[in-house]
Amino acid sequence: MDLVLLAVGAIFVNNILLAQYLGNCPFCGVSKQLSTAAGMGVAVIFVTTLASIFTWLVYHHLLVPLDITYLKTLAFILVIAALVQLVEIFLKRHSRVLYDALGIYLPLITTNCAVMGIALLNIKHELGFGSMLVFAIASAAGFALAIILFAGLRERLLLAPVPVAMRGTAIALVTAGVMSLAFLGFAGMVQ
Amino acid sequence: MREIGRLILVLGLIGVGSATSLAWVRATLAERIEQQEDLYVRGPALSRLFSRPADELLANKVKISTDSAEYPVFYLQEGGELSGLAVQAAGQGGYGGDIVMMVGIDVQEDELVGVEVVSHSETPGVGAKVEKADFRSQWEDLTATEHVQLRSAGGSIDAISGATFSSQAMVNGTNQVVDLLRDHRDEILARIDERIGAGGES
Amino acid sequence: MTLKQTLLHGFWRDLPPFRLVLGLCPALAVTAAANNGLGMGLAVTFVLVFSNLIISLLRKVIPEDVRIASYIVVIATLVVIVELAMKAFFFPLSQQLGIYIPLIVVNCVILGRAEAFASRNTPVLSMADGLSVGLGFTMSLTLVGSIRELLGAGTWFGLTVFGESFEPFEFMVQAPGAFLCLGVLLGLMNAWSRKRGEIFVQT
Repeated sequence: MDLVLLAVGAIFVNNILLAQYLGNCPFCGVSKQLSTAAGMGVAVIFVTTLASIFTWLVYHHLLVPLDITYLKTLAFILVIAALVQLVEIFLKRHSRVLYDALGIYLPLITTNCAVMGIALLNIKHELGFGSMLVFAIASAAGFALAIILFAGLRERLLLAPVPVAMRGTAIALVTAGVMSLAFLGFAGMVQ
Repeated sequence: MREIGRLILVLGLIGVGSATSLAWVRATLAERIEQQEDLYVRGPALSRLFSRPADELLANKVKISTDSAEYPVFYLQEGGELSGLAVQAAGQGGYGGDIVMMVGIDVQEDELVGVEVVSHSETPGVGAKVEKADFRSQWEDLTATEHVQLRSAGGSIDAISGATFSSQAMVNGTNQVVDLLRDHRDEILARIDERIGAGGES
Repeated sequence: MTLKQTLLHGFWRDLPPFRLVLGLCPALAVTAAANNGLGMGLAVTFVLVFSNLIISLLRKVIPEDVRIASYIVVIATLVVIVELAMKAFFFPLSQQLGIYIPLIVVNCVILGRAEAFASRNTPVLSMADGLSVGLGFTMSLTLVGSIRELLGAGTWFGLTVFGESFEPFEFMVQAPGAFLCLGVLLGLMNAWSRKRGEIFVQT
């Protein structure tokens, strides 16, 4: 039950994008079409899950025993960068279908602060392995949910009579604000 | 081959440079960082616990290591006698992770003075109620030689409704300190004596 | 670009996060109060100036294939230094900024400047570029922070401005206010830019 609450909290109440502001560059960059947004969402879930597992292991079984936790920023970004490279090489060799679907998003993910952010939040909340896994997947799913919903809105926004100066990123941000307001309604849902 | 050799050499050199500079910065700043943590994080909790200004208490610090963890222990002297201890512990099992807390002990009476929350990541509004005084006041004057328990487990602490995990974490943290005091009492007292003998108040 | 142009371009032509739409996350996340925005901006400026300097010094040594990896190591090292220094000297601020300090490492502004500028210019010019873009970013963050703090809490840098009778729009210091404030500011800047007849396309 506790894990369910943790998951619901991570997806809706503390949505990584709309409440914690992480991952906004791809949010604005690749949300113009529903299909690309969905691809990005899936890629982020995939990489975040792997990255969270590896960074958690590195932190608890390497940095903590050696008493060098102050290096976690450096260690995590290297783990994530190396992981993204490996995933790309692996997919290229072994799963052409997945590579065609996710390949173009992978390089972008290294500098996606949602991935790094979730890895850091796992540590900040001092989660155990099981709850870390649930939290990581749920947070990434929250990202995917937000970006897919947002892409749906943006596709219609193209047809709306938006003032010239507000077109593009400006109206996208305002729309995100309205969405974030809607998500604020979930606050208090999880005790 | 030459190309790859160069790649590795350059990356290696950057790595070495980065590691050296970080080790140096860390070594230079470590002490100051700990002082700041004491001042801003532990200080307020300590001063509420003993109703004294924090700077009187922060200097009186020893560290006790056990097999599983390291506990910062602060002590209070009254009229040249050791009167109180405050031990920082991490209460495991909170809903959002560990609750870092400070447990105050009256050494003369072997009683708990109270508990203070140093940092937590519990849900605002519910689990965060562990910070509320009426919950924490239940700790006052309990004996420091026995474990505390929630009422559901036959003890005397009423859990916050809807936040059993957070309440249990506070109990767990307290019991760690009770254990520490039982198993390492002599070591703690010896370390404090040593410190008082060596530099007095400072 | 000349030195003077390099020193000035970060304040309007390539002003992040508005004109150079990079680094949105910190611009949204830490701007609930003006001093948080200022602190974050200065931290980014520090990293930007030194990462540009180091990368520019090493630009002829770093092989093409591993350049991004090298940049990331350099940037991450500087970020850890900032993290430690903030804890040692500005502890309360470092607590408030929380995980957003380590996240400077994935701030696209920094990697972007390394790739677009420092890797092909001299050290002096690169430092000037870092300083200019960094201070521009600081300016933007402080501006957003000021607007949100004034409207959302009625204070500025913690000082009460509107007095007791002011009922703050709490909305502004929460997440939706951040998006809205940034979006409207961006719209205003676009309007100003059009009025001056500049050709500017947002990507």
